[in-house]
Parts: sequence; structure tokens; C-alpha cells
Amino acid sequence: MNKQMIISVMSKDRPGIIADITGAIYQLGGDVADLNQTVLCGYLTMILSASFEPQVTKEDLLAAISHIKTSCKFEVSIKELNPDQDKEDTGPPEETYILTVQGPNKAGIVHGISSFCYSHNINIFDLATTLQNDQYTMALQLDLKNCQSSLAALQQELEAYSQQSGLTIMMQHNDIFQVTNEVTLH
Amino acid sequence: MLRSDQILATVEMIQKENLDVRTVTMGISLLDCRCGDVEETCKRIHNRITEYAGHFVSTCDAISKKYGIPVVNKRIAVTPIAFVGAGFFRDDFVKIAKTLDRAATDVGVDILGGFSAQVEKGMTNTDLEFIASIPEALAQTEKICASINIGTTQKGINMDALAMMGKTIKELAEITADQGGFGAAKFVVFCNQPGDNPFMAGAIHGLEEADAVLNVGVSGPGVIARALERLIKRHPEPGSLQLDELAEEIKQTTFRVTRCGELIGRAVSKSLGIEFGVVDLSLAPTPTVGDSVGEIFKILGVDAIGAPGSTAILAMLNDAVKKGGIFASKTVGGLSGAFIPVMEDAMLAEAVGDGSLCLEKLESMTCVCSVGLDMIAIPGSVDADTISAIIADEMALGMINSKTTAARLIPVPGKDVGDHVSFGGLFGASPIMPIRNIGKSSRFIAWGGRLPAPIHSFKN
Repeated sequence: MNKQMIISVMSKDRPGIIADITGAIYQLGGDVADLNQTVLCGYLTMILSASFEPQVTKEDLLAAISHIKTSCKFEVSIKELNPDQDKEDTGPPEETYILTVQGPNKAGIVHGISSFCYSHNINIFDLATTLQNDQYTMALQLDLKNCQSSLAALQQELEAYSQQSGLTIMMQHNDIFQVTNEVTLH
Repeated sequence: MLRSDQILATVEMIQKENLDVRTVTMGISLLDCRCGDVEETCKRIHNRITEYAGHFVSTCDAISKKYGIPVVNKRIAVTPIAFVGAGFFRDDFVKIAKTLDRAATDVGVDILGGFSAQVEKGMTNTDLEFIASIPEALAQTEKICASINIGTTQKGINMDALAMMGKTIKELAEITADQGGFGAAKFVVFCNQPGDNPFMAGAIHGLEEADAVLNVGVSGPGVIARALERLIKRHPEPGSLQLDELAEEIKQTTFRVTRCGELIGRAVSKSLGIEFGVVDLSLAPTPTVGDSVGEIFKILGVDAIGAPGSTAILAMLNDAVKKGGIFASKTVGGLSGAFIPVMEDAMLAEAVGDGSLCLEKLESMTCVCSVGLDMIAIPGSVDADTISAIIADEMALGMINSKTTAARLIPVPGKDVGDHVSFGGLFGASPIMPIRNIGKSSRFIAWGGRLPAPIHSFKN
């Protein structure tokens, strides 16, 4: 039974990081299953999942990566997954909504919104933010599956939060964004 | 990965630009409701409608709330009633109209269309009885809309029926004179009427349809207008933006609008277990500010609606709307294009008032758009034959060009050029349109018979 590991890497961006990291995995006989990476302010962060032979350990992988010659230090974190951990990707469920938040840039916007979601048992699938001319924009993909409030009540509370925080907040079903922006319908 | 820019554009469309599903229309067949007597027939009609549409309005509302897109109107269209009431007489048809009205109220829809007949090839005795019933039927009901198809490209135009139309419309207006002739706003004369158009007043459940169907009418002239304004603003240098890029913007925006409508429509269809029919993507204006088709003309470059260039602009707009919509939807039908209903569009009405938009220009514009001479208030004194002749011109345009054309003219009793009429709500308001060459067409109308089908329709 193969061992599954989740590896997280952060470093100053330069060409060859993915080649280096996946090279280390390959040397250990590992197989990369999934990879997600993003670059922010010149720093790359990467999260990937890879499967290895059962005898390969977390320490082996850490050692392999630390041997990579690199001018920019890698900050690495590795987790071994339990064999029975569920990792199915079935796409967003019925209760997926998109929340948009806009307002003048100030401290605490992301924290405020994410706390609101947490207090309503709403999980955040994805999040994207942009800052332009002091106007902060945030788009969140939310999972309302476990939210206890009704949609109407939630909309009302969002309205109240919007008034109190001075932000423009709107929530719409995920399907609308999918159908209006994608050519192929799923 | 979320794209904030795309997400925000969609949010703007819904929240600020009046994107809505203009109507979800349930088509219901009443063909097998015909019984021995009119009372039993009426009972069956009422039961049929409540059976299919009992949960219609509540389902639309629920889905509208789920997606956050308003479904402005829920409507019903029935089989052209002259077929359902074959063998009945004028008073029977009035009874049926009242039953339909009651059924519409009971299920909570805004309007019920299909009080109609199809007489392009000839008129049965029933058709004549039906036509005779139209004024009283519409005067005595609130939610019923009537229509009649008097011509097709295949069969030509039934000139006997045409001659009756002027008289019917005048009578309709007179009998509702206390409402400004509003009865005439609920009656449309067609050439090439489609069987699946979800918009009123001309919606019917065509004979070719199954027992029930759901058709969606999306709209959003405001969305198109704002999208064009944004594009123009991004190209302030003269010559940096060309007409085909504007056409492309209309096409892409229409794509998004149509997709929203289809999403809602199919969700309602699934929830009710009624087959989904078509999306009709028509730019249908309302009197609300920012929801005008007329405004789009000004954005696209004419200072007055009706000025030279207006027909060309409309041709481009209509075509771009069709292209975007056809790619967006699995099934497109109905009218699908741009509407120019004068009373329902505040800016078109204004253009009539200041003299920039005349009947003749509107007529030429109907060659390139989806409907016809729609919601036009004319002086109450115009004679029946002139009204019939105006309709004849419109029918000929549709017949020759193999497209749907229609006429919805309202001769407002007691009013003349310089006066105003207002029906309120979605039916809007406008000044009275001047009509030229009144009273000069009677000899033409007197012939009767048939205006023969054009040669290009003989494709066998």
C-alpha cells in the first residue's frame, strides 16, 4: 500500500523550483499526483501530493530536498496522510456560492469575512483578492452545505455586515458564474 | 482558480444592470378539453390549467431566490382558442375567456395568452365567431391576451381577415375607452406567428407542441447598454474602436444573458417535471430607466432615435443578439432579437414625442428586428381601413422576408397628436403618434381575398 504525502514548499521565486522539488521526489521513486502553486510578491508557494513506497519516510524526503543546491532557501513542511483519508474530487456541491466583497482598503477585511463564514459554519473553497487604486476586491467560493441559516437569513445577515463594515457584499449561486463564463457546461 | 474580474462583471450584470429573466411562460395544450357544451369545456380548461400550473409561480419564485436572478413575470400560453372551441359561438368564446381569466388568477400568473386563431389560409365559421368575440372578451377580462395569425410566407395574407382587423381594433379600443383604449394593447395581429414565443401579447401554445412546455424569455437591454458604454469608455481615442468590435461586445454580452436565462428555465423545468422548450433571447425593454432598447441606439451613434442610421444600427443589434444567444443555448426559439415597442420603452416614446421617430421609420426598422409595429398609440379618430392598411404593410414585410412581423396598434379614443396616453406598469406611456395619409386606403382594403404567397416560398 503506497504512502501518500502532502508537501508544502515556500521560497523566493526563481526558475527551476518545480524541477528541483519534483526531481527530489522522483529520485525517491515517488509519483506526483496533484500540484498547486502560486506566486505572490516574488515568492512562490507550492503544495503537492505524491505517493511513495511504504518504506520511504518524511525524513527521507526532507533530507532529499535539503540536498538541493539553491540560492533561495526552501521552507518545507511535509505531512504523511492516513491511508483511509478521503481525497475524492467531485466538484462543487449544490450549495456552492460566490461571495464578492469590495471596499476601500483597510486592515481586517479578510479576517472579518472569513470569521463571518466560520461563525456560520461556511467553508471557504477558494479565495482571490485584488487591490487596485486603494479599492480592495475579494471573491470567495463558499460551501454552504453545513450552514445552519437559511439562504434568506444569510442574505439578511450579510446585508447587515455590509452596512456595518462599509463594504459592498454580494452573494450569488456558483452556477451563474460557471454558465456565464464557460463555453462548455458541465 | 477564481477570476475576480469575471466574477465582478457577472455580479454587476445582475445587481446593477437590470439583468432578469423577463418571463417564464408555461405552454399548455387545451385541445382535449373540448366537450359537448361550453360549460363542461370551461370546467375542463380550468382544471387543466390548475393541474399543470398549480405550483408554477411558487417554483419560479423559489428558483429565482436561489440564484438571485429575478423572474419578473410568470405567464401561461394556451392552444389557440379557436381550435379548442371549434363549433362554438361568440358568446361561448367570451365565457371561455372568463374561464381562462379565472384560471390565471387562481394559479397566480400575470398574463395568459393564446386567445387566438390562425387564419392565414381561410376562416372557418368558428374563426369568425372568435374574431367577433375579441372586443368583449378582452374588455371583460384582466389577464387575457389575444392574437391572430393572418398571414404566412407559405400561404400569403388573408385579406378578408385583414379587413376585419381594423374594425376589431377600433371596437376593442372603444369598448375600453375608459382605460384609454387599453383593450387594443392586449391584441396582436401576426404574420408568421411562432408557436413558442414566451412574450405577450402574442404568446400561444402552438398546435405542433406537446401537452406542456416551459419557455423562457430573457431580456436585458440595460446589460447590453452598460457593456457597450464600458467598451466605448475604454477606447477614448477617435478611431480606436470599430463597429465590428461593438457588435462582438453585444454578441458576448448576449451570450451571458442567455446563459442565465437558460439556467433558470431548465431549473424550473426540472423542478416541475415539464419539458424545457426554448430560450427566447429578446431585448425587451420596460419603461424603467436603464432598461431601454432606444438608449442603445444613442450609444451606438445616433443623436436621435429614428435619425438616419437607426435601421442599420438595429440590423446589427438584432443580428448580434441572435448570434450570441444561439451559441449560448441548446434550444433557441420564439422571436429572439430586439424589440421596439414604443410605449414600453421610455426613450422610444420620447423620440416619438419630439418628432424624431415616425411610423414610416419604425416600419423600416421592423424589417430588421424581431417584432413589428408594437405598442403604438395612434389618434382615436384614425379610420378602420387605414388601420388595416398599416397592418397590411407590416404583414407584407413579414411575408416577403420570411420573418415574424406583427402589429399592436392602439387607437386611443378621444386623443390626438399632442396628447399623451399612459397605461402604467409594464405597458408604459407615450405621446400619440401622428399618422400620415389617413383615409386613403379604403379601396385597397375593400378588395378582400388573398394577397398571394411570394414565389420564393414555393420550395417543393
